[in-house]
Amino acid sequence: MSPLLCLILLPVAGAILAMAGFPARKMAITAAALNLLACVAILASFQGDKTGYQFLSSCPVLPSLGISFTLGADGLSLVMLLLSTVVTLAAVTVARAPQTNAPWFYASLLFISAGAIGAFASVDAFFFYMFHELALIPTFLLIGIWGSGDRQTAAWKITIYLAFGSFVLLIGLIGLYLAMPVGARSFDMRAMAEHAKLGTLFAHDTVHSFSIFGFEYLSITHAQIIYLLLFLGFGVLVSLFPFHTWAPQAYASAPAPAAMLHAGVLKKFGLYGIMRLVTPIFPPHVAAPFNTLLLVLLLGNILYVGFVTISQRKLDLMLGYSSVMHMGYIFLGILSWNALGLTGAAFMLVAHGLSIAALFALSGELRERTGTLDFSEMGGLAKAMPTFGLLFGFAAMAAIGLPGFANFAGELMVFFGAFSAGVRSSPGFNAFQIATVIGLWGVVISAVYMLRAYRRIFMGPLVDRWKSLADIAPLPKLCVAGLILLLLVVGFYPQLLLHLISPALIRP
Amino acid sequence: MTPTLAHYLIVSGLLFTIGLAGVMLRRNIIIIFMCLELMLNAANLSLVAFSRYNLTMEGLPNYNGQILVFFIITVAAAEVAVGLAIIVALFRARQTTHVEDLDSMKF
Amino acid sequence: MNAATVPWIILFTPLVAAAVILFFGRYSKPFSAGLAIGATLLCGILSWWLFTQPDATEPNQFFWINLPDIFSVPIGVTVDHLSKVMLVVVNTIAPLVFIYSLGYMKHEEGYWRYFAGLSLFLFSMLGIVLADNFLMMFIFWELVGLSSYILVGHYYPKDSAADASKQAFLVNRIGDFGFMLGILMLWLATGTAVFSQLFTSETLALLQSNGLYLTIACVLIFCGTVGKSAQLPLHVWLPNSMEGPTPVSALLHAATMVAAGVYMLARFFPVLEHVPAARDVIAWVGGITCLVAALMATQQDDIKRILAYSTISQLGYMVLGVGVAESWDVPMFHLFTHAFFKCLLFLCAGSVIVGMHHEQNIWKMGALKNKMPFTFLCTIAGTLALTGFGFHGIGFSGFYSKDTIIMWAVVKAPVLGWIAAVTAGLTAFYMFRLLIVVFLSVPRSEEAKKAQESPLVMVVPLLLLAIPAVIGGWPFIEHIFFHTTEPENVPSIVHYALLAMFLGGAGLAWVLYRRAAKDPVSIPLFANRLYIDNLYTWIVKVFQDGVAWLAGWSDRWIVDLFVAQVPSKLTWACGYVLRFLQLGNIQAYAFFFGAGVVGLIYLLIAR
Repeated sequence: MSPLLCLILLPVAGAILAMAGFPARKMAITAAALNLLACVAILASFQGDKTGYQFLSSCPVLPSLGISFTLGADGLSLVMLLLSTVVTLAAVTVARAPQTNAPWFYASLLFISAGAIGAFASVDAFFFYMFHELALIPTFLLIGIWGSGDRQTAAWKITIYLAFGSFVLLIGLIGLYLAMPVGARSFDMRAMAEHAKLGTLFAHDTVHSFSIFGFEYLSITHAQIIYLLLFLGFGVLVSLFPFHTWAPQAYASAPAPAAMLHAGVLKKFGLYGIMRLVTPIFPPHVAAPFNTLLLVLLLGNILYVGFVTISQRKLDLMLGYSSVMHMGYIFLGILSWNALGLTGAAFMLVAHGLSIAALFALSGELRERTGTLDFSEMGGLAKAMPTFGLLFGFAAMAAIGLPGFANFAGELMVFFGAFSAGVRSSPGFNAFQIATVIGLWGVVISAVYMLRAYRRIFMGPLVDRWKSLADIAPLPKLCVAGLILLLLVVGFYPQLLLHLISPALIRP
Repeated sequence: MTPTLAHYLIVSGLLFTIGLAGVMLRRNIIIIFMCLELMLNAANLSLVAFSRYNLTMEGLPNYNGQILVFFIITVAAAEVAVGLAIIVALFRARQTTHVEDLDSMKF
Repeated sequence: MNAATVPWIILFTPLVAAAVILFFGRYSKPFSAGLAIGATLLCGILSWWLFTQPDATEPNQFFWINLPDIFSVPIGVTVDHLSKVMLVVVNTIAPLVFIYSLGYMKHEEGYWRYFAGLSLFLFSMLGIVLADNFLMMFIFWELVGLSSYILVGHYYPKDSAADASKQAFLVNRIGDFGFMLGILMLWLATGTAVFSQLFTSETLALLQSNGLYLTIACVLIFCGTVGKSAQLPLHVWLPNSMEGPTPVSALLHAATMVAAGVYMLARFFPVLEHVPAARDVIAWVGGITCLVAALMATQQDDIKRILAYSTISQLGYMVLGVGVAESWDVPMFHLFTHAFFKCLLFLCAGSVIVGMHHEQNIWKMGALKNKMPFTFLCTIAGTLALTGFGFHGIGFSGFYSKDTIIMWAVVKAPVLGWIAAVTAGLTAFYMFRLLIVVFLSVPRSEEAKKAQESPLVMVVPLLLLAIPAVIGGWPFIEHIFFHTTEPENVPSIVHYALLAMFLGGAGLAWVLYRRAAKDPVSIPLFANRLYIDNLYTWIVKVFQDGVAWLAGWSDRWIVDLFVAQVPSKLTWACGYVLRFLQLGNIQAYAFFFGAGVVGLIYLLIAR
């Protein structure tokens, strides 16, 4: 059996055992821990000097349509797998068993993990898509059943939104499939990239013109339509402005481990997908006409959502919005369409995944203790729980991109990539450079909201209500500290990940 | 005067029209049901007639049509069994067989 | 041990100390303090040793990020004269402040947090000093911001301290925004951020081919200085950061961290000296800052805030020096002397504060000269050094360094020169105001009557610092460290004017404050810092929070309306309309069905 299949099946097995009546929490933690070990073992046997997918295993499913269950991993997917397994372990460990249906709760968490791992390990676009859809079901259940606040609305909103995004994406995928020459069609991502390289993809590209009263208002090629469908489809999944309103609401309602898994891992599916199915396939001239539009949208993520984040008065909503905001940087890196920006974006996937997981874990812990996350009711908590305050400080500093944490390295590469993107215009700046300048202001904005939150919650005089608050328990402490440690290690020595990521992103 | 295919088809058409009119216009569900059966039998009649008048090379009737009739009769019998059961159950529940009273699925 | 590895040892020793204290420091106070002090003493000794060694410029060996042919961030050290001098300054003052902290922080909680923060600061500061490229410098630049945040927020349960630390970090981030943009622009034009590659003549020629671009880049880089060195208009954080413990104010916010901005400009001087337009901007910002901050200082009541504004003003001198002098030696010389005497003054203030049981208002003090004789002596030394007392080539350290800057300014930009000269008079005024009100005149409160001299552990560092504060500018010492040149054709009236300024300022203070029970002069404009703080508060409140509120509102009611509510309601409306087809009449359904079949047949056949 292929090692990657093991990686997918381990959480599934854990989930089944948990539902079958074995102690759910123990099963979940064991499965997640074993999975992490397995992932590390896979990493250890990965041959970094080779390009292309390794650990390939393929099983034809619908040969007539070119669909086969193909698993494989290159540096980029391996990094994402590592992120998934790490965050899964942290999530199931910090999770507190709910009052009702605990086995199903843990099983759902493990199913999300299995879905994400399956998506990251798939080489076949069809299964890549399918695994993500599978992971949405347990997300829906987790928010709808074990969530807090207006959980039903939040659950429906995220599900319908993501289903809509996936639908757009599916149309794009089918369009991509049909653009391949008849007889050689396949959902295999390698085949798609290969066709793109040989020029046989969109070989007979046609221009569609739309006109009203003889005035032609839109002229778009087939390839561009598919590019837009894919980018926006993936964009909705990653909360690209203005399709972001599901995210904060869902993360605020979701139980902490679900928010960790979705914001930290599953959401990255969309960005990972763009790096797999859009950037290696579409030549820059196809993408170029939409750069301005997409830059405006992603600046909406950075600036507009940044300001929305400042206006939040509750920690969970603020974290939700902040995760939306940070997606803007990653989009900026991707859109810069050069190796540096893409590498930075891929790097940020991991960094953001780890830091947001740590933050959501802490905010969940805080809600367990205080029952509220409203800033106005907090104050001076660092006095009552110093270790908690210290850990939150670390995670917050990571999120605002302080050097030493992985996020800084990612942002740095993204900014340098974006600043050198596009065609040089002299004198003056081109659109990418202007976007970089505006996007850089986001660094100030994120400092504003994070430090404000920290100030309101942990600094200032200790509110009497919280005098007897217990400090963080050893197990969650270990988890969060582990996440932070990883951020620090990667931040101090980014080459660790860059060795893996950068060969995978080199355009053919 | 020997009856020709046209005569049979006219009778069949009349029967079908009576059935259709009954289904469309009558309000008693049992009568609607009976009219439905009438339409099936109209179809049967035309099938048998076609079978009788479309001779093969050897001068035999085309039995395909007659076999189809048997199928229709079987299906109709099953349909009657199920349909009547539903109607009886409906009557027990609602004390009526009038379709205008059975509008709980209305908007 | 050789000259190649020593810088690395100097750099990483404090980091190791900080990490160890973070994990184990909470179990033992002496352990935390001992480790931190040990680390900084080691750094001090090695720095002095390194100073005697020749420059070592080694090619980069380590890469933090290395994407071949695309982008790389090397981690390397520059050991040249500039960095060696700065190492000596930082690592001489740091041990004294660390030791002084033993006494000052004796009864405070969060001991380990304090020493871990100080060690982290030292690491970051040394990183700035040793960095051999802009990106590495930026990394440490941000890290000093973090350590400043931690240390200013040491008394985080106090609202004012919590706000001050937040403000310090955020204002610095605004400066860093410009700094990063400047680095990006330089990198885009030259493809490198490494100093030694930027300063080659080819790169310079390339940069100079687009004059406006280069000027903008330089001004943006200067934004980093504006934030870190608290120049106008980003100066507001520095006085507020006085909420931190006094040794922190002495080390970070007077002697070293805030001087990093000037150090960075000195490091960048080889490019800067070819960009006269950018230097004009720098000179004007420095000159105006130095005057305005001095004006604000004249009306402050908090002993630490007076010194803080004085620091801003002196940093203004240094920045002015960068703008007008012909080499970096001139501003760096002032940085060097300022580090010692300002640190001394802050530590004296700390000693007074401890003696006064944490009273910081000078109008509650008075006549402390007999109660705290050593502190008094050291304050006099610091004051005379700061005010630049001296004539005809003989004087206290500030006399040499500050006057050189003023002379350069007078020659190169006379308006700025005379602004700087007037500021010298203001400096004398506010410093003697402080000296007279605190140490002379009459005691104004019970604490002032019962004040006592601080313990030896605090007094000894004071006395040690007083020595360089007095002699640090004397020519024979200056020539060890710097090669300052004075401009030619200095009008001789400048020397007399400066002396007159000093005497005038000091004399006026003597007249006004000799017997004053409360401040006889009241200028609300200066006491309220020209209302700049209020303006910023207003801007933040109205613009930032207003925009944020608007964005939050629109996100909830407009964006969500268009991307979620409207589609949802549309779907619902379609369903609502279509359900009218559910007539509830079985025969109608049969009719629809039949009509549908007929329609389909028509479509299939008729077309």
